[in-house]
Amino acid sequence: MRREVKDKILQALTYIASALSVFVLGAIIVYLVINGLSLINTHLLTSNYYPQTANSGVKADYVYSEMGDYSGNGHYSKKWGIAVEDIVTSHNDEEISVTYIDPNSPFAHMESLVAGQEGQDSSLEVGSNIQNIYYTDENGETVFLSKVQMGDAENLVARLDEAEGIVSCNFESLGGGIRGSIVTTLYLIVISLIISLPIGIASAIYLHEYANKSKINRLIRQGIDTLTGVPSIVYGLMGVAVLFPVTQLFGATSTSILLGGLTLAIILLPTIISSTEEALIVVPQSLRDGSLSLGATKSQTIFKVVLPCAVNGILTGVLLGIGRVIGESAALVYTTSTVISDFPTIMSQGTSLSLMIWSIMSGEQPNYELASAISLIILIIVFVINFVVKIIGKRLARSFM
Amino acid sequence: MLIDKKRVKRNKSLDKFFHGFFMAMAILSASFIVIIVLFVFTKGISPFLPGYEYGQVNLFDFLTGSTYRQDQGVYGVGFIIINTLVCSFLALLISFPISILTALFIAKVAPKKLGNTMQSIVELLASVPSVVYGVFASGVITVGVRMIAESLGISTFGGSSMLAVIILLAIMIFPTLTSMATTAIRAVDKDLEQASLALGATKTQTNFKIVLTAAKSGIFAGAILGLGRAFGEATAVAMVAGNKLFGPTFNPFDITRTLTSTMLVGLKETTGLDYDIRFSVGLVLIAVIFFSNFILNMVKKRIGRNL
Amino acid sequence: MKTCFSIKNLNLYYGEKQALKNINMEILENNVTAFIGPSGCGKSTFIRCLNRMNDLIEDCKVEGEVIKDGQNIYSSKQDIVDLRTRVGMVFQKPNPFPMSIYDNIAYGPRCQGLKDRKKLDEIVITSLKQVALYDEVADRLHESAMGLSGGQQQRLCIARCIAMSPEVILMDEPTSALDPISTSKIEDLVLELKKDYTIVIVTHNMQQAARISDYTAFFLLGEVIEMDKTDKIFSTPSDKRTENYITGRFG
Repeated sequence: MRREVKDKILQALTYIASALSVFVLGAIIVYLVINGLSLINTHLLTSNYYPQTANSGVKADYVYSEMGDYSGNGHYSKKWGIAVEDIVTSHNDEEISVTYIDPNSPFAHMESLVAGQEGQDSSLEVGSNIQNIYYTDENGETVFLSKVQMGDAENLVARLDEAEGIVSCNFESLGGGIRGSIVTTLYLIVISLIISLPIGIASAIYLHEYANKSKINRLIRQGIDTLTGVPSIVYGLMGVAVLFPVTQLFGATSTSILLGGLTLAIILLPTIISSTEEALIVVPQSLRDGSLSLGATKSQTIFKVVLPCAVNGILTGVLLGIGRVIGESAALVYTTSTVISDFPTIMSQGTSLSLMIWSIMSGEQPNYELASAISLIILIIVFVINFVVKIIGKRLARSFM
Repeated sequence: MLIDKKRVKRNKSLDKFFHGFFMAMAILSASFIVIIVLFVFTKGISPFLPGYEYGQVNLFDFLTGSTYRQDQGVYGVGFIIINTLVCSFLALLISFPISILTALFIAKVAPKKLGNTMQSIVELLASVPSVVYGVFASGVITVGVRMIAESLGISTFGGSSMLAVIILLAIMIFPTLTSMATTAIRAVDKDLEQASLALGATKTQTNFKIVLTAAKSGIFAGAILGLGRAFGEATAVAMVAGNKLFGPTFNPFDITRTLTSTMLVGLKETTGLDYDIRFSVGLVLIAVIFFSNFILNMVKKRIGRNL
Repeated sequence: MKTCFSIKNLNLYYGEKQALKNINMEILENNVTAFIGPSGCGKSTFIRCLNRMNDLIEDCKVEGEVIKDGQNIYSSKQDIVDLRTRVGMVFQKPNPFPMSIYDNIAYGPRCQGLKDRKKLDEIVITSLKQVALYDEVADRLHESAMGLSGGQQQRLCIARCIAMSPEVILMDEPTSALDPISTSKIEDLVLELKKDYTIVIVTHNMQQAARISDYTAFFLLGEVIEMDKTDKIFSTPSDKRTENYITGRFG
């Protein structure tokens, strides 16, 4: 009797322990969804992080047509199809912010007047803060409406309704977007894989197809295995110390996305090598024998028979590598810097999505909402990768049965 | 009939070339570990050598110091080493039993489908990036810690604390421990279990007494791996550690400082000695991981022998 | 009749273990030579010596000579790739490459640098016809070879081998993974092929050896106990152990 009770308790403990980890995963997801989900929209994905001032004029080919109705927040000017409201920014500035723009509105058909960017699309968006407006009155004369003259949202709408035409407008875009970081992340993925894949695949081929049990080969394997256990922050140090001079050859003067990509390439090596090798192990020896017996050389056998069979494993390595690049932060703090960039180039500094989280969380005022939104995006990508890898793994296990 | 002599010769030299190429790439891959250690060592040791451009630092003071203030140029990592060890071991202490129970659940107790689902959940936890854990820790764990502290009448620095670091690390090393333990438990000889069952032990008794004992070595290997991960975990820890200037910290509600958080904090606007000394801290981190692995592997061998 | 292989004092070691002991043998051209013996007796190891497939096995060491066309194939002058184009091999389990039927057969010639489409077409079709597979697969040459039945796969592997126009075809228990109907098709094929090729076949099936081979060698524990004309081996073996094996006392 006592034994049964004890068994039941122990069994219950295993259930509780498992429930605990389910709870943690659930808590992470719930927290991120509550804080970040509302931020995820196309604006977040496509706009700049830093608010930008723009000076835009209505396009020459714009033709006025009837605006639709609007009944949301703010004051709506039916004449010009724009709704605005008064807000106070996080820096305690009073601003007039756009809450709605009709697709037919002249404010939705503007191009930049800024020198060097003339002709580029640069329309107001929901969230833009209007600074001043030029419009034409009934006499056809251009009137300037400064920020002070605009006053508040209600007054602005009243003044606009008197106008006969819109000429141009100064405004501040909303910012807070992650486009630059997405681009940086893509750069990092491409750079790191381009370098890591050939080295990793070639190493795996050597280890599995060529290496005998000699001492040197054991040493090589041990070296590669040890790489797995090196903390990523140490890779960051290595990047600065070893790879920075390499990027200098390409003209780098500071840390750069290139440096981050090179560092990541080394971080990815063990992943690429082990998943390639796992796939090579599954390729039946009989196929190699078959090829060699037909007079193919060893390298012909590898390229024509073995590698095509191992393609799933290599794909797994690529996917896991992408996941690792997206999630990596510590190594990049040292190698790409933590300065968020809206227009990253390979030689410039920039932040990947993960690094952007670190950057906005380690500043004076952590932005939990944005960090959660980015985390949620990362998590979704990583979970999808995980899922695909699992499916590939199942197919791999079945492929040579 | 088919053989084209020239072609055969070309094939042969190509074959030789590729053999050399594959070997060169493997050697390159393996040499990175040497490069890492070598360069971090030379850069990390430089502040302690005479003639260092920003003023030589005393190695002994550095290793034993109990204050780390970049504003005053005082760099002592002695207390940081202790903090790192304490946080990581306590995290392991919390995570270890839970992960073993979960592994038993996945491999033995749960019905097959539930076990597979649970394993997927552990894999998902393993794939969550460090920064995401960091966001979760500073948004949820710190709040929890603050609430506990307040109910005890203790004030905290917004919840950033040693306790938060420990809980965070416990969560982060959990997937590593669990998957290693699951593998070890699954590898236990079925005959052993059947022998135990045949002697009248219940399934649960067998699981806890026979299976766990037999899987001991694999479980311990997981613990070593997990501990290494805890030592090296950087961004997430730095978000909730608080970066105390002196120590060591033993009060769970007080802020703390680990080797990795020291390496990250204030990196953006730093140069000179304060930058270089991070390589020295990194070197200490490598040494801590190396020595703990070495000692634990010896312990593991002992345990293995006593089986 | 001309000698194809002449083997002199061949010894083979896997590390410390000796797997083949002092083998001496003549293999004649345009004949079917069968190796029989209980499993683990070294007959498969030996056949793999004839095209140096044992080179792939780590710490495998070969002593002695295998002379083909007046040259020892184990001499350092021998080009292995060249040897394997002349001595083809068919394996125990059908091992078609996971590519189309056409590409499987064109694989060997392509590896030698043959790119001429017309020539390749010709080789593929004649090879398939020689193994009587052409009619069965003519309309799906560009489909995956993995979709063929086991027997068809094995005939494809033979065709793949023939496509190289080798002088010798080594067959390592080619029917052990096949059903009886496929087996008899392969056996007929062997009798057909011996007009053009020298065939060496390892078999665990004594009736098969009796049916298709001209010469038979009996292996036991890494040694050749007896080698002679097949009907002599099966009717009046000179060694007691051969007789015991053939009459089913052990094996």
